[in-house]
Amino acid sequence: MREEALGVIEEVLKSGRTAMVEYEAKQVLKAYGLPVPEEKLAKTLDEALKYAEEIGYPVVMKLMSPQILHKSDAKVVMLNVKSPEELKEKWALIHENARKYRPDAEILGVLIAPMLRPGREIIIGVTEDPQFGHAIMFGLGGIFVEILKDVTFRLVPITEKDARKMISEIKGYPILAGARGEEPADIEAIVDMLLKVSQLVDELKDYIKEMDLNPVFVYEKGKGAVIVDARIILKERA
Amino acid sequence: MENDRIVQELKPFFEPRAVAIIGATNKKGKVGNVIFENFKRNKERGIFKGNIYPVNPKLDEIDGYKVYHSVEELPDDTDLAVIAIPAPFVPDTMREIAKKGIKAVIIITGGFGELGEEGKRMEREILEIAKANGIRVIGPNCVGVYAPDTGVDTVFLPEEKMDRPKSGPIAFISQSGAFAAAMLDWAAMAGIGIGKMVSYGNKLDVDDADIMEYFMHDDQIKVMTFYIEGVKDGRKFMEAAKKVTKVKPVIALKSGRTEYGAKAASSHTGSLAGQDVIYDAVFKQTGIIRAEDFEHMFDLAKAFAKCKLPKGDRIGIITDGGGAGVMASDAVAKFGLRLAELSEETLKFLKEKFPPHAVVGNPTDVVGDTDAGRYRLALEAFVKDPNVDAILVIVLFQVPLLNEEEVIEIIADYARKSDKPIVAVAMGGKKTDRYARMLEEKGVPVYPTPERGVRALAALVQYAKYLERGNAE
Repeated sequence: MREEALGVIEEVLKSGRTAMVEYEAKQVLKAYGLPVPEEKLAKTLDEALKYAEEIGYPVVMKLMSPQILHKSDAKVVMLNVKSPEELKEKWALIHENARKYRPDAEILGVLIAPMLRPGREIIIGVTEDPQFGHAIMFGLGGIFVEILKDVTFRLVPITEKDARKMISEIKGYPILAGARGEEPADIEAIVDMLLKVSQLVDELKDYIKEMDLNPVFVYEKGKGAVIVDARIILKERA
Repeated sequence: MENDRIVQELKPFFEPRAVAIIGATNKKGKVGNVIFENFKRNKERGIFKGNIYPVNPKLDEIDGYKVYHSVEELPDDTDLAVIAIPAPFVPDTMREIAKKGIKAVIIITGGFGELGEEGKRMEREILEIAKANGIRVIGPNCVGVYAPDTGVDTVFLPEEKMDRPKSGPIAFISQSGAFAAAMLDWAAMAGIGIGKMVSYGNKLDVDDADIMEYFMHDDQIKVMTFYIEGVKDGRKFMEAAKKVTKVKPVIALKSGRTEYGAKAASSHTGSLAGQDVIYDAVFKQTGIIRAEDFEHMFDLAKAFAKCKLPKGDRIGIITDGGGAGVMASDAVAKFGLRLAELSEETLKFLKEKFPPHAVVGNPTDVVGDTDAGRYRLALEAFVKDPNVDAILVIVLFQVPLLNEEEVIEIIADYARKSDKPIVAVAMGGKKTDRYARMLEEKGVPVYPTPERGVRALAALVQYAKYLERGNAE
């Protein structure tokens, strides 16, 4: 796990960057068994068409560039791409948008991903406190985190009890537990993710500065969860 | 072994055989004079049992005490040095202390790391000398130690200006000296007993973790209270706290419940992570009870100092005023506790004994024409009732037929003999305050509002549960 993740991290550091693009971050997460979608990085249009075929339409296209970390601002994410024709069209558009946004943008490729069924959105994050070290954050996504700041923290490493307490102590917990007749969300999947992120950060604490898994879709009980977008900021090499 | 080490190392700070006051002077109001006076007075009172050695190269005698001209001249039983000389002279003095073999030093002097580079350099130098010679240092820039039972008092605010609290089972630990001094003064007025106080200022060497461990082994101390500004070694603090909270409750007040300010964060998570949420996490993971404010901290400390721990969260309420009972019931819900469902026996017993206009139930209202006897009956039933884990007794001392001293005796008696925690609430003015103190003197924590009484019970319940689970996680 650690070796595989370190390989990805070393590559990024070698290229003189500390901000990992989504694709790289997800590889690190995947190395620790965290649920990321079946995605592939296409370097050429032909590869993109091939991967889209394998994954099955509709797909999502996301352009990966170290200079473009706010992908929606740069309009380099295309959702619900339904056919090879549309993919070709969007391929051109996505590259044009990238150039407009950052003419100097280095383009690593385009991530071809399946369209995911929406679930309840959560955020899992990591930050480093100067006195206490790395802390893990959990909260509900969207307005809950943006406006209400309904999040909770624990220092890494956390135990299973910590993870369960984190989930149940946020104000929005009833939304996960199943409010107004909704089916409960897959709490076990969240517990599992929190523990894996904790382990990942604990083992890679010398490398990782900050991390956001945002959003993560959590499905109904027993149906798991999937990390939709992820960012990892590495520490400068000492 | 490790525990023995910390106890042995820190013991001279609290129980020195002989204290050297370096910078002692006869000039009234000077730090070196106030500290000398503190020790001298406590010696005269028979509290401080050690020897007092003032050190000052320019004096031969202060108030009948022989003054030593240098550290070198000090008698060999000196095991604590209190330094109150200007910062630039401290490193050299430390070298002399090392040579003399003194292993405990309190540096009262300010003007070190808090003032800039030169100060920081001196701090490093002092620390190196300390480390190389096995010396433990409290301070610099601090008020040091207050231990009323052994007469150690390095608080340089004179008794004429600042009262000292009586002894008790509460330890108080504060980085800030000003806060520590104000707190001691207030505790004296409020009648809160402080067994030991440590204020370590710049925390060059001895830190929160060390002190916590020492107090964990100190039988006098039942509960620790902390005023925290910042922690230097976060992980050491957490390790110590996890260990200590499994033995004794630790209550912390963290100042600055605001965000870092303009902290550069590249991630969303980073921007949400203020110092405050991190401390919240630290406290949750280590079992430290977080106090909202000063008042809250001592409300809880008082309860831990005086009460047994409850076996559960079912609260029984006895009152002589209906409104106060309702307020208490609301607070029970607010703090996540449960109102006890009284047993059949309790209900039957009280209905038989009480006049028909008294309200038997939970709360049980002994009503405004009560005498002390009804409190006795209610307490007897509640203490026996297996459905009640903890008892809140509300006494409006103002009611006409209630003999105050009798009811105080009754409550104190049940608090002593019952294995359930009993806290009291007394609402009122000056006269009530007097009775509240009498009750506290007899070992029952008293609160001025039902809400604060219930909040204290909630902390007891929370900590009892924590101990039951065996850990914070």
